[in-house]
Amino acid sequence: MIGALSRTTPVIVQGITGRMGRSHAALMRSYGTNIVGGTSTRNDIAEAAGVPVFASCNEAVLATGAVASVAMAPPEETWVAVQEALAAGIKLIVTVAEGVPVHDAMRIGRAVRRAGATWVGASTPGLAVPGECKLGFLPDVCLKPGPIGIMSKSGTLSYEVGYRLAREGLGQSIWVGVGGDSVKGVRFADMLPVFFNDPRTKGIVLVGEVGGTEEEECAEVYVRLGRRKPLFALVAGREAKEGIAMGHAGALVHGESGTLAAKTRRLTEAGATVFSSIESLVGHCVRQFRFDRR
Amino acid sequence: MLLIEADGKMLFAEHGIEVPAGVVVTDRVPPLPGDGPWMVKAQVPVSGRGKAGGIVRCGTRAEVEAAVAGMLDGRLNGHRIDACLVEAVAIGQERYLSVMVDPANYGLRVLYSAQGGVEIEQSSSARGSLCPPHPGAVAEALAELVSDEPDLWRDQIAAIGKTLGGVLLTHELALAEVNPLFVSASGCIAGDAKVVIDLNAIGRQPRIAAMVAARPALYVDAGRKIAEGFDYVELDPQGEIGLVTTGAGLSMMLIDELTARGARPLNFCDIRTGQMRGSPARLIRVLEWITARASLKAVLVNIFAGITDLAEFAGLLAAAIQASPALKVPVVARLVGRNAGEAKRILGTARPGMLVTEDLEEALARIDAIVGAAS
Repeated sequence: MIGALSRTTPVIVQGITGRMGRSHAALMRSYGTNIVGGTSTRNDIAEAAGVPVFASCNEAVLATGAVASVAMAPPEETWVAVQEALAAGIKLIVTVAEGVPVHDAMRIGRAVRRAGATWVGASTPGLAVPGECKLGFLPDVCLKPGPIGIMSKSGTLSYEVGYRLAREGLGQSIWVGVGGDSVKGVRFADMLPVFFNDPRTKGIVLVGEVGGTEEEECAEVYVRLGRRKPLFALVAGREAKEGIAMGHAGALVHGESGTLAAKTRRLTEAGATVFSSIESLVGHCVRQFRFDRR
Repeated sequence: MLLIEADGKMLFAEHGIEVPAGVVVTDRVPPLPGDGPWMVKAQVPVSGRGKAGGIVRCGTRAEVEAAVAGMLDGRLNGHRIDACLVEAVAIGQERYLSVMVDPANYGLRVLYSAQGGVEIEQSSSARGSLCPPHPGAVAEALAELVSDEPDLWRDQIAAIGKTLGGVLLTHELALAEVNPLFVSASGCIAGDAKVVIDLNAIGRQPRIAAMVAARPALYVDAGRKIAEGFDYVELDPQGEIGLVTTGAGLSMMLIDELTARGARPLNFCDIRTGQMRGSPARLIRVLEWITARASLKAVLVNIFAGITDLAEFAGLLAAAIQASPALKVPVVARLVGRNAGEAKRILGTARPGMLVTEDLEEALARIDAIVGAAS
């Protein structure tokens, strides 16, 4: 689903009459995303951000044929929003809220899996296929079509990396913020087949963080799938304090679990190149790809 | 976030898991449970306390007092020791037992080892099983894992495992671990408790919220997050560079890069500019915490604004600086995004001579120069 997104993919915004919903729906539209409608609990508003407002996902999907949704719901309402989207037949759902409880995320994950849908989030700026569409709020200033597939736990750190790469002329094929939570939708390892099968993608940038085992899982799958494209990794949190989540709920180190050393070792053994600074990652990508464009 | 051991044990005990009799000591040592021997354990949320000197076995009250005096106000793996748990020594064979959320499978993972007491990552004897998030499923998974245990205590271990599963689901935990679990003919007793709570669920978990609120000195970072709605973690009380930053990943990376350059960042900060809504209150709070440290030599503001209007942010930053008389060190701002030019003009007027740049490397070089000159 993610690899096939384009400017024609019909997308709805859940919670489109809220402050965030309204402004991001407008920003997504101006980027080129085919926003076809939105949902709201308010029945006094017929239109927001230039598209029709519906009372439910079901109505919105029936009227517009939407297949994807961006849920602008607060964290404690995200689980309900996802249930509504799945019941309406939505196949790709992006939940941007930061602070979704872990056990809600488990419920969401199980429901999405049963429905055969794809979930991106939570705690994410969303995803983009630069030049085609964006679902969420990745800043336009960072987006530029090009050969690099980006996947990141952190929004801001990926902005920094994407912005510096774009400034050097290196744009992105597909950019997915997998989000900073431990229990989430699409994980790093899930993105590898997407990037491998995407003809636009020539190299993959992984922007990780301490905590959890996602980077390690990704390393394992990278080997299993045959390292078909180069993988460059930047992992933040060497100096993280043990026992406390560093801003992101998933960025929690305790004992040997989730440390930068463990992640670096596993990624390096798998054949990825791991960098310790933004500048060194950007420099390496530029040397490898800028003069290789055809 | 990790609960301290004493709170993890309190939670377990409230659900019927036996724990050693103990007292939490933050100052003078009160009357002790039993006649000894006792274990004195530093209450900091880190693993490997034993190796780091945070766990001491004592035979007499005098030894307990000496051990407590030696630990309190010291530091262990970056955490200040504000409390010790003194408890009766438990005896028996040592086992490992844990139930945790398995993020990749949206289920629970039950781990069991007949060799407890050691770091489970270094133990090859641990066996795990995945199950759906229900206590019954945990019990079923565990029954298989403990099948080699003698009749004497097998059912008791299984019962404790089922309880742990129930505790994890009831209180929305990420991890509930007992290592070691002491097993003997007279019963099973939790020698340690490692509990990872979900701060995002704390609003609907009154018991957990009460535990965190009851020990403000021990849960400083969590208390701040709950009270203020954003993240600020002090990393080094002797740090020289105060950080005013947004975005968890970028803030962590900046700390890593500063440290690699030989600098000493004071704090981690994810201020969330998108939630400031026209008020400088958050900036004033952060400046207040940063300037409370005498070692401070510079403040680095780093904002990569995807959505935030930097002109508005600059106005708030200028107001916050104005409202922070304790701020006597230079401020360097690296601002990228919408209206960066206007932001530079606003800060240039409010604070002449302050470096405001779009280039992170230039900002870092200026920080190096300030800290170098101050040393």
